[in-house]
Amino acid sequence: MTKRISKVVVLLVTLCAVRAIDAQSMFRGDATHSGTYMGPAPRQFHRVRWKFPTGDRVISSPVFKDNVIYFGGDDGNVYAVDAATGRQIWKRATNGPAPATPAIADGTVYIGSYDGRFYAFNAQTGALKWKFATNGERRFEAKGLHGMQPKQQTIADPFDIYLSSPVVANGTVYFGSGDGNLYALDSATGDLRWKFKTGDVVHASPALADGVLFFGSWDSYFYAVDAATGKERWRFHGGEDPMIHNQVGFQSSPAVVNGTVYTGCRDSNLYALDAATGKEKWRVFNDLSWVITSPAVADGKVFFATSDSSLYHVVDANTGKPIVRQQGKAYMFSSPAVGSDVVFIGVLNGTLEARDLKTGDLLWDFKVEKSKENDGWVLTSDRKFNGPFLSHSNWREAPILATDQQIRLGGIYSSPLVVNGVVYFGSADGYVYALE
Amino acid sequence: MTAAGALLRLITILIGAAVLPSQAQDLMSGRWEGTARIPDDDLNVIVDLAQQNGAWVGSIIIPGLGVKGTPLTDIKAEASDVNFAVKGPVGIKLNLRLLPPPENKLAGNFEQAGNRAPVTLQKTGPPQVEYPPRSTPVAKELEGEWKGDYEIMGFTRHVSIKFANHPDGATADFVIVGRKHNVLPVDLVSQESDLVTVDSHEMGFSFEGRLRDGKLTGAIRQGAIETPLVLVRAK
Repeated sequence: MTKRISKVVVLLVTLCAVRAIDAQSMFRGDATHSGTYMGPAPRQFHRVRWKFPTGDRVISSPVFKDNVIYFGGDDGNVYAVDAATGRQIWKRATNGPAPATPAIADGTVYIGSYDGRFYAFNAQTGALKWKFATNGERRFEAKGLHGMQPKQQTIADPFDIYLSSPVVANGTVYFGSGDGNLYALDSATGDLRWKFKTGDVVHASPALADGVLFFGSWDSYFYAVDAATGKERWRFHGGEDPMIHNQVGFQSSPAVVNGTVYTGCRDSNLYALDAATGKEKWRVFNDLSWVITSPAVADGKVFFATSDSSLYHVVDANTGKPIVRQQGKAYMFSSPAVGSDVVFIGVLNGTLEARDLKTGDLLWDFKVEKSKENDGWVLTSDRKFNGPFLSHSNWREAPILATDQQIRLGGIYSSPLVVNGVVYFGSADGYVYALE
Repeated sequence: MTAAGALLRLITILIGAAVLPSQAQDLMSGRWEGTARIPDDDLNVIVDLAQQNGAWVGSIIIPGLGVKGTPLTDIKAEASDVNFAVKGPVGIKLNLRLLPPPENKLAGNFEQAGNRAPVTLQKTGPPQVEYPPRSTPVAKELEGEWKGDYEIMGFTRHVSIKFANHPDGATADFVIVGRKHNVLPVDLVSQESDLVTVDSHEMGFSFEGRLRDGKLTGAIRQGAIETPLVLVRAK
């Protein structure tokens, strides 16, 4: 009897371990994108275990499988790096920046690139298994976007910085594309199973729960689509902004927990939708400040942050009632990661913050070197964005160049990954960091 | 150095020191051009300083920040030191010292948003101080309160502008009520024929409209965002 109990315990531990490892091999952990990672997380900062240089900014979020960290680089490469040492195992080139987060399943790395191709590489060797051509990538664009001038000029959105990250289940890989489609491909062959057309760019990453895919598009709609057939189950209409197209579109990727879909939106709301019907349960309005972060959900709470107002929020998952509200220093696009009793989030001023799970108080932070140099005084002395130095003109290329300056200081757009007491993330300074 | 040589040098220094404070005020007047050495970026700075009726006036040009002819405020010139500020969104302070001849330079610190960088300016000519435009009087029929609504990003804003004439030009109380009650500091009111403008440069808001058929028909500009707005006389 004792032996039998021991066997059951061993089996349960093994299952938990498998779940823990699997929950680190896709964007936001697993297919539901809860942003919650099992195992220990550093409540104190001790040291940089390693930092890995690439040829350009790293917007992609690292994922973990079998002691290897995988991520995409804006230098066009997809990387496999030893999680313990930071040594490169392999890299494979795509023909464009890869600001998407890869998914690892069945020994394969899946990732899309700005070259309009979606790739499958052997996870061990980096050998190409197959690639699939979409109708081409592009960023969200609009006339007079965000009040940029001249207002009759169509302008690509410099803040549309991510590509959709894939989710893999049941032999199918799903991802969104700048061509407006959500694609479902055979994960072994790359053959198209179906595609679902929306009205604009899909750079949010689909979440999958109970055979349904959930994702938002820049066409102002959030969709639920049958994962097997590609048929629409329901759609939810977010805000519109026909004047300057600032308060429109789902850039945030959803989390699905206990029958509720949580998603941020550029209309400055965080929405909680019924996963079965698409009916709104509650919303948190953020005073015209975008919610780009993908929410994390843990312990009956939803964790998210805002852009312009730079607020870190924790709200009740059932009601949306505020629990914690902390003022940050700069915009947050990076999605919060819950590890043990700590929440990690990247800030666009080049800081990684570790906050207490319950109180939201700052436990420690880490500033990348490039941000400390503060080239061109992009930051104020207290590390807020320095408006007059960044954006004194809304005409022609000035706002685009200002955004580029913002990015070059080493902003952390990447969402942290927590594995065995180590936090991994990319920075726009071109490095991937491992902190412990 | 001989004793006589040392004495001569000391006398020269003492004379120089005695003359410098009184000369400094005159020497500071002029156009000064140079750079503030902020990290990875030299910022061109042009300062015009002049004395007018015994008081210092000045303006500044910073091409890299879109600053042109912005007035200097809080100018303090004492002995060889001159300090001043540039108010508004850019929020700059300069603390400078006149270097003794033959340097003919102002050197010190350029401060903005808590950041500080060394700055050196060289005199390049006489001052060309720019003065901000002044408010004009407005037509009698415009005096009093005007109201209207506009919508931006899905939210309605209520606008009230109350004009009054004074001997040195018109003033306007400019209020926008959305989810907050915003009283905008107005620095310029002008009327040219039937075109009326009200500017709050500090807040980045302006209204421009034509007075026709008892209505002020135009647009409100918030930063780069321009929205149509019609104001009618408040009842």
